[in-house]
Amino acid sequence: MKELLIIIPAYNEEKSIERVVGHVIEDYPEYDYVVVNDGSKDDTSKICRANNFNLIDLPVNLGLAGAFQTGLKYAYKQGYKYAIQYDADGQHKVEYIEKMLNEMKKGYDIVIGSRFIESKKPHSMRMLGSRIISTAIWLTTGKKVKDPTSGMRMLNRSMLKEFALNLNYGPEPDTISYLLREGVRLSEVQVEMDERLEGESYLNMVRSVKYMVHMVVSILVIQNFRKRDSRYVKDNNKERMGNV
Amino acid sequence: MTTIFRIVLLVVSLCTMVFMLKRIRYAKIQIEDSLFWILFSLMVILLAIFPGIADFMSGVIGIYSTTNFIFLFFIFILLIREFSMTIKISQLENKIKELTQEIAIKSADNNKKESGG
Repeated sequence: MKELLIIIPAYNEEKSIERVVGHVIEDYPEYDYVVVNDGSKDDTSKICRANNFNLIDLPVNLGLAGAFQTGLKYAYKQGYKYAIQYDADGQHKVEYIEKMLNEMKKGYDIVIGSRFIESKKPHSMRMLGSRIISTAIWLTTGKKVKDPTSGMRMLNRSMLKEFALNLNYGPEPDTISYLLREGVRLSEVQVEMDERLEGESYLNMVRSVKYMVHMVVSILVIQNFRKRDSRYVKDNNKERMGNV
Repeated sequence: MTTIFRIVLLVVSLCTMVFMLKRIRYAKIQIEDSLFWILFSLMVILLAIFPGIADFMSGVIGIYSTTNFIFLFFIFILLIREFSMTIKISQLENKIKELTQEIAIKSADNNKKESGG
């Protein structure tokens, strides 16, 4: 078994899944991977089976948070030291995982693959959302997260356990904000991503506004009332001592 | 709005908020499910503290009394909520049905394999 598991949640990704996973398997045998098919309605599951991919097939759709958590539970039970969330649509680039892993081993708990450390944020609508979330996190934690909505997040052993076994640990900026406030050590590493080529429809607009309200209220109000299980604080500290 | 009515609104919505935040604190509810109640009670608190908002809105719509506007407002929001809950419950029931079927079919397959092999 390798030390790092790449978790690839997939919902209706029949067009890209073969290429994305094939690339990971062929060029990066130093990592393990698992595809979590999130109850796709298309041929994602069939393609994975035909190619003999390491697959967890969810019988119903759980949403990204539920699918990713499934991968984390698997990582926890199998005893992986690190896990990373990786998009099935080819947005993320596997060559940056090594850089993130090296950063992780300096003694961090969470490493985010960030698009905006060296390069500046463009002034688009989507980036306005990213800015608002960054500001909300900064207001509550005093810390700057340059790319809070990046889906490329790496977790160490104690973090992946905490994410795997608890409620309200979705892979979203509000969880990051909460953990930052709890003193979890987070770092960002510059990565490149391929932008998805999708037009923004009206429905997407409504959904984005909903997402933004959810995130802002959650970060500014709700997260401040949460209580962290002290067992995880202890685990987390222990792992940190071992690392440094 | 009378002062008593405003106080009642304020107390009830504060209680709702505290109750929800307590559930979140001890990880008894998903944040996305609590969001509606947090936002709803925030709105009611706002209306209780600034009754001018409700006065203005009832004037705009043409409702004679502000209290009536508040009732209408509540009914409307709760109806929307009821509508989305119905959809959600229906989806949940369908998911449970699919899961149950999946498990039953798998165990039937296993039984066949055991008795056959």
